[in-house]
Amino acid sequence: MKIEGTYTFSAPQARVWEVLNTPKHLQEALPGCEKLEEREPGKFDVYLKIGIAAVKGSYKGKMEIADAEPPHRTRLIGEGKGLPGFVKGEALIQLTPQDQNTLISYQGDVQVGGLLAGVGQRMIGGVAKMLLEHFFKNMEKILKLAG
Amino acid sequence: MKPSAFEYFTPATVTEAIGLLERYGEEAKVLAGGQSLIPMMNFRVARPKVLVDINQVKDLDYIREEKDELVIGGLTRERAVEVSPLVQKKCPILSEAISYIGHLPIRTRGTMGGSLVHADPTAEIPVVVSALEGKMKVAGPSGERLLGADEFFVTYLTSALDPLEILVEVRIPTLPPNTGWSFMEFNRRYGDFGIVSVAALLFMGDKERCQKASLALGGVGPTPLRTRKAEKLLAGQVITDALIAKAGIQASQETEPESDYHASAEYRRNLARVFTQRSLTEAWNKVKGGK
Amino acid sequence: MPEIPRKWVGKSMKRKEDLRLLAGRGNFMDDIRLPNMKQAAILRSPYAHAWIKGIDISKALESPGVLGILTGAEVAKMSQPFPVGVSAPPKYYCCAVDKVRFVGEPVAVVVADNRYLAEDALDLIEVEYDPLPVVVDIEEAIKPGAPILHENIGSNIYNHRFFKYGDMEKACREADLVVKGKFKFPKYGSTPIETYGVIASYNPFSDEYVVYNNYQGPFVNHSLVAIALGIPENKMRWIVPADIGGGFGTKTGMYPYVALITLGAKKIGGTVKWIEDRREHLLASATGTDRVTYMEAAVKKDGTILGLKDKAIDNTGGYIRPPEPGCAYRSTGNHTGAYQIRNLDREVLVVGTNKCLTAPNRGYGCQELYFSLERLVDMVAAQLGMDPAEIRFKNFIQANQFPYTTATGGVYDAGDYPKAFQMALDMIDYKKIREEQKKARAEGRLMGIGLSSVVDPSVTNIAYVTIGKTVEERRQERPKSGSGESAVVKVDPLGGVHVMVCTNPQGQGHETVISQIVADEFGIDPKDVTVSNVVDTHDRLYSITTGSFSSRFASQGTTAVVRAARQVKEKMLKIAAHMLEANVEDMVLQEGKVFVKGSPEKSIRLRHVAGVAHWDQSALPEGMDAGLFGASLYSMPTSQPPDELDRVNSSNTYGFVAEAIVVEVEPETGQVKFLKWASVHDAGTIINPMIVEGQVMGSLVHALGGTLYEEFAYDENGQCLTASFQDYLVPTAMEVPKVEIGHLETPSPLTALGSKGTGEACSMSVPVAIGNAIADALAPLGVAIDELPLGPNKIWDLIQKSKKKK
Repeated sequence: MKIEGTYTFSAPQARVWEVLNTPKHLQEALPGCEKLEEREPGKFDVYLKIGIAAVKGSYKGKMEIADAEPPHRTRLIGEGKGLPGFVKGEALIQLTPQDQNTLISYQGDVQVGGLLAGVGQRMIGGVAKMLLEHFFKNMEKILKLAG
Repeated sequence: MKPSAFEYFTPATVTEAIGLLERYGEEAKVLAGGQSLIPMMNFRVARPKVLVDINQVKDLDYIREEKDELVIGGLTRERAVEVSPLVQKKCPILSEAISYIGHLPIRTRGTMGGSLVHADPTAEIPVVVSALEGKMKVAGPSGERLLGADEFFVTYLTSALDPLEILVEVRIPTLPPNTGWSFMEFNRRYGDFGIVSVAALLFMGDKERCQKASLALGGVGPTPLRTRKAEKLLAGQVITDALIAKAGIQASQETEPESDYHASAEYRRNLARVFTQRSLTEAWNKVKGGK
Repeated sequence: MPEIPRKWVGKSMKRKEDLRLLAGRGNFMDDIRLPNMKQAAILRSPYAHAWIKGIDISKALESPGVLGILTGAEVAKMSQPFPVGVSAPPKYYCCAVDKVRFVGEPVAVVVADNRYLAEDALDLIEVEYDPLPVVVDIEEAIKPGAPILHENIGSNIYNHRFFKYGDMEKACREADLVVKGKFKFPKYGSTPIETYGVIASYNPFSDEYVVYNNYQGPFVNHSLVAIALGIPENKMRWIVPADIGGGFGTKTGMYPYVALITLGAKKIGGTVKWIEDRREHLLASATGTDRVTYMEAAVKKDGTILGLKDKAIDNTGGYIRPPEPGCAYRSTGNHTGAYQIRNLDREVLVVGTNKCLTAPNRGYGCQELYFSLERLVDMVAAQLGMDPAEIRFKNFIQANQFPYTTATGGVYDAGDYPKAFQMALDMIDYKKIREEQKKARAEGRLMGIGLSSVVDPSVTNIAYVTIGKTVEERRQERPKSGSGESAVVKVDPLGGVHVMVCTNPQGQGHETVISQIVADEFGIDPKDVTVSNVVDTHDRLYSITTGSFSSRFASQGTTAVVRAARQVKEKMLKIAAHMLEANVEDMVLQEGKVFVKGSPEKSIRLRHVAGVAHWDQSALPEGMDAGLFGASLYSMPTSQPPDELDRVNSSNTYGFVAEAIVVEVEPETGQVKFLKWASVHDAGTIINPMIVEGQVMGSLVHALGGTLYEEFAYDENGQCLTASFQDYLVPTAMEVPKVEIGHLETPSPLTALGSKGTGEACSMSVPVAIGNAIADALAPLGVAIDELPLGPNKIWDLIQKSKKKK
């Protein structure tokens, strides 16, 4: 399923880029992320516990930051497997300065498979978007705290 | 499919139930009608380790009138509300909306509280409670609190309920005299999840002009949507077909629906317009016809 | 066959089955309890296309209650791939071995004390997948560079053949006009209320198997499973219980579960039960094929269709399995439908994509065919400015042309197409409706009338599957042909009549119909006839064609019953003649008594004839066996192998269906409302009108589903979007419009009663009739209708697109 959207951070582009590329901040920002370990530069092992209400699941997987062109764009590639199924996604993230703010626009693809996919198609698109918003809101908090 | 293993408790009081939730926290889930939870458990997309079955809890099943409100216990069955003469007289839009919930067997088990807390983006009771600006009373370890509809529905399948709380009561304003109302739902088959639904209320008071309008739409976002700009278009106006058509277009523009296999975002926006228009027309006809 | 007085055949007798079924006393798969029965759960692939890099079952083996786990690697050691009738087959085991090719494909099976514990163990199995690119679109699958599903084949084409009948080039030269269309038929199925079930027992001490399942017969599956598992057929006793909760063809595909669960039983040396749940069914049971068809008609200005050319691409999903490629060939004999079209060029492709597998879905092959043919006929009419009814009358095979041999080798046994079609038109008052349509259009309302006229083939001749191979390839193998169905009729020592069949009903009321038929044959009451209809390969007569599929019971099954009954009758006449010292030619059997013609006062009751045959065996005529029974495993003589010109009589009896449907489309929502609907059926002699009515409504609503509601939908990653009834929309009673059913009976000369099959009927005629109606409704907007399903969102999109064009 295709996902795309925008988000505006009230922080300069360089700061946003820095936070996006700091594993500690990434872990804080990713919803439900309990563990994020860098195995190789740009490649991470991830452990997430995400869900909506009763539909919770733990996902073990990998994440990769690739094709980075600092501070303009980067590609996030991730996949996780859990009992409810697997999630695979890829998003191209572009940063554009807007005065003191930074406009993020993202375009990507999310694939959900397994138990969740067969019965959740009604909401998967909306939930994916919602989790992304959650991610950006968390990043916003981190940007504020980091000064 | 069979659910994963769980422990099972049947508390007899609200206090006991909350105690169990406190003890087990995130591992516990409340079981009321089970019409949404059990299928999710059978599919193993929900795997609560503990089920707190509140069907034995006394005094959560009631419908009564208190001043200008209908007060309904959280465990009251949807079917009971649907056929209640009190509800049909004082708040008929609620009865009408409930008749769209699935099929009769489902409504004999499903509960008011369960439907609200489950917060399915297309569920009928949340849409109507949003339109009516109902209030939800929830009870938890630190006592009771009252939540308004706007703050109660947070996002997909998520209410503002804390995991240790139980919804014990819903308070819904009764309809003042001379109020036009309509509930409509578009779906593929009888009994299906709604694709787009509309709850429309025209509060006329004793005037010729509409004093206030309430328009809540379901299926167009993560929670029921009050289309405030469309409501503003109608407030203080003489209701005409042309104005209703404008309100339909406005309501549609306030929606940001998602696409899914059954309906694209564009189609939902179209249905939002069409059914807002039809719903307002039906509500207006009720006013004209003296209800 | 000699005619007898009919007291019961033709009557709407209430069904004998119903009371026990309604009272919950049926005997279904899940009712069977065997000692020490364990339960299985199947781990299924969440990926549409991926290598299986490794499976770790160590944690799962320790899970409580687990007795054994099978993975694909072990299955490949214990079994062979299933045989299938194409020259370059994929390797289809009953479990994925090195690769998964559709979401839901079995990857491992756990046997445990109960299903809950088995599913808990599934959670602990760790599979490492290496995902591969996915292809779900039929035409994309055959483009160069498409992901290849089966390395051993090298392309996604399972079967590819060309056929030429008559001279299409000449037809094109003589034509005034060639009309072309591209049509898409969706992937949809039957979703019977009862899902698959298997209970397999293996006895290591006798090295024999007993396998209960709810397959539609032994059909070919019993033999194929035996071959795959390397077991002699007589060491695998295959039993299908008396009651099956619907099949509709879904339970005739070579699904892997019988073999898989049998291997599970072998592994633990005991009895294993598996009942498919609904999610499994929607992910990985069987659907009809989806198909892309390019079809063109060469026509004259006066509407005569001189010839057809078509290229059809069927999708059987991640593998191809028997009875495919039947999807493309079942309809061979009736490919040109109800029309006198003598020239036909066909190109057939059967391909694979990363979707779940297929089986005959009610209407097998014909829904797809007629959706193209009957849409095209309407398009031709539109281009010629002809009424769509008129063009059909122009091309119909006439009543005096039967039996009619089609260009493709089909032998239509009986029919009167113009009469039946006119009946449908009269039932909706066609002329008046067209006038109403003019008025509606002037008001801007989108009202449409859709017609269709289809030949409904029944009683498959299994020869048709061999058409998937070329003449040269066929020469190297033994030919295949036949339609045999079995029946045993016996009279017990106290004169009770009992019938044993394995026609394997899934709701069609065979017990009642057989009782009516045998009652007439012996002049007794249907309530005195008992029927046991259970498939048991040890205890029943059967062949690879026995079972219930292709609507064969009403014609083939009943004929076998009559033949067996008449053997009994003949013997009774001989015994009575012997007892009365009369000539057997002078004996008659009427109202349960045998007597010399003209002397009814000296009659012997059936019960006494049986008495002699059982209790006084030495009193029988010399050389005659004791007892009183008859057996038939009758195949119709019209079931011949294909000839060297690829002509084959793919079915044996051919009915006819005409639909006339009036709709109105609501432009604001794209909803379709049904204003009038007439459905006319010619299924030959009607044995039980009430049962036929049920069949007709059943196939009608089934077709309504595939046309407006149902679809097995996949996203571009091969994920199934419709894995529950929340999203796979089967119509409910509330969605069924008011329909008027009409009947015409042109008896078949081939069957004992003149009956033809009727179970599939509307599934072939309705999708295209509704498509034609919606096309007619939207014609003023210039909207083309060439695919299904037509949900309201789809119709609304088409209307918006046409508005933008203007």
